[in-house]
Amino acid sequence: MRSSSLFTSAIAALASFASAELNLSEPLRSKQLLPSTFKPPQVFKNAHLVRTTNLDKAYPRETVNVLIENVAAKPQSEYYVPFDTSLLSHVGGFEVRDKKNAAAGAFAVDVVGLDHASTTEYYLVHLPEPLAPGAQQTLSISYSLLSSLKPVPAELPQMAKQYLQYTFSAYAPSAYPVEKQRTKLKFPNADVTDYTTLPAELNDDHKSDPQKQGSTFTYGPYKDVPAGAQQPVSVRYEFTKPVIQSTLLERDIEVSHWGGNLATEERYWLVNEGAGLKNHFSRVEWQRQSYMNPATFALKGLNLHLHPGTQDPYFTDDIGNVSTSRFRRGNKENLLELKPRYPVFGNWKYSFRVGWNADLSTYLRKLAKGDTYALKVPFLEGPRAPEGMSYGRVSLRVILPEGATNVNFHTTVPIVANETTLHKTFMDTLGRTALTLTAINLVDDFRDRDLIVTYDYPWTAGYRKPIVITLGAFAVFAFVWAVGSIDTSIGKKKTA
Amino acid sequence: MSSPLADVWEAAAASPFQPTIGKNSQFTIGFALLFASLLLTGFFGLNRSFVNLPLVGAPASVAFGFGAVYMICAVGVYV
Repeated sequence: MRSSSLFTSAIAALASFASAELNLSEPLRSKQLLPSTFKPPQVFKNAHLVRTTNLDKAYPRETVNVLIENVAAKPQSEYYVPFDTSLLSHVGGFEVRDKKNAAAGAFAVDVVGLDHASTTEYYLVHLPEPLAPGAQQTLSISYSLLSSLKPVPAELPQMAKQYLQYTFSAYAPSAYPVEKQRTKLKFPNADVTDYTTLPAELNDDHKSDPQKQGSTFTYGPYKDVPAGAQQPVSVRYEFTKPVIQSTLLERDIEVSHWGGNLATEERYWLVNEGAGLKNHFSRVEWQRQSYMNPATFALKGLNLHLHPGTQDPYFTDDIGNVSTSRFRRGNKENLLELKPRYPVFGNWKYSFRVGWNADLSTYLRKLAKGDTYALKVPFLEGPRAPEGMSYGRVSLRVILPEGATNVNFHTTVPIVANETTLHKTFMDTLGRTALTLTAINLVDDFRDRDLIVTYDYPWTAGYRKPIVITLGAFAVFAFVWAVGSIDTSIGKKKTA
Repeated sequence: MSSPLADVWEAAAASPFQPTIGKNSQFTIGFALLFASLLLTGFFGLNRSFVNLPLVGAPASVAFGFGAVYMICAVGVYV
């Protein structure tokens, strides 16, 4: 008896161990969490890596072309890309493609976080086909770094040139040893006032580092850099353009079958992340200079390139209608030119809303069988400017007609959340089906990406609105008749 | 790059959505229906009887229901 109870307790203890291990290995959230001792398995080596950092827009865009080689004995399909935890929250639009087959689309990517106070987090890239031992593949990794440019000096006179500083590592982020690598920097112009010079011994060619060629700088080549190595460098270059970020963009797309209309409304919360104004804003100087149209770090206007056929645009902010806008119709596109109420200098903010209508027939198609519809709309339609624009958070809401069910969607924009809710507005009885998609850290390069939504909308659901109003009106008629037939006369009722 | 939904979109290329009443005629239709509803309501108001409730009240209600939907669309609130 005693021995058997000892045996069962031992089994229970072992089982609890096993279950504890199981719990650990389970992902705690959608973002995978790994113990802080985690190191990516060293199954790859980066044979050759070329990183191109493009600084001609108001956010750095990085493209890393890397030739990876499987150095393990088994086929491998999980490739890690490390980032500092502080940097990871600024990484946007992280996409990995096969360099030699870019049309095949982006690979599946996860964010892998480490628990506790780890300073490194990873993007986990799932290669669609495991790489055989000894085999090589060229990956093209592209991403943007938002809010990573710092104006130096941080405050400027109204008409001064703006300089931005970008600090990064001369060694590209890599979780694996890199045999050979270099980093190319493309500046918007040749006015690069300061840059870190690295000792020639680090450089594989033993030349001065960086090498300059017009507005292009090259750090490297470097040979046999170990995994996770960093070599901080910074560059400072002229960029007399606004550094605009929309910290939040709410975009509503409303489908109306009765009206045959697609209504779009965008609400922006803009901030200029460039240099602040040193003294007071001088309207006189601003107005005098404006005729010469000089380069300035203040935001003067925004141009929205809308599809042809858009109509009824509006531009309002907290005060009301902003009259400084123009709408130019064209055959290829309609141009909506917006001017904020004031030039937006560094650290200044401006929030506004714009909206327009369009014919639904361009965007909506009815499928051959059943009452199913397919809607194709652009995910982003923001302003287009040479200096670019970044979006901290984009919340896109597609408001479908009342009674739409079975909502499916597809987009190539990396989204972080989606939900289907009910949106109650004019003349609704139940509320309209609304699909809300959230994306973070987007840049204006994502303008061309589409969103396709399919939904079922039975014709009976379409008649809900007129029938509800009809019933209401008929109730009034019945009520009037009923009230009118009440005998309210005083005195005896006349019989016969 | 193709996906099932993109294929669905392409497959339906021949059948773009067409509303029953185009944007340009919404006001006309809406106004005509509402006006008809008004006339019928006036008629009902002069002859309130149980027979007139389905005979006049029902068409007036239907005209008001559809007329209101089109008129609201015509003035820019696309329901």
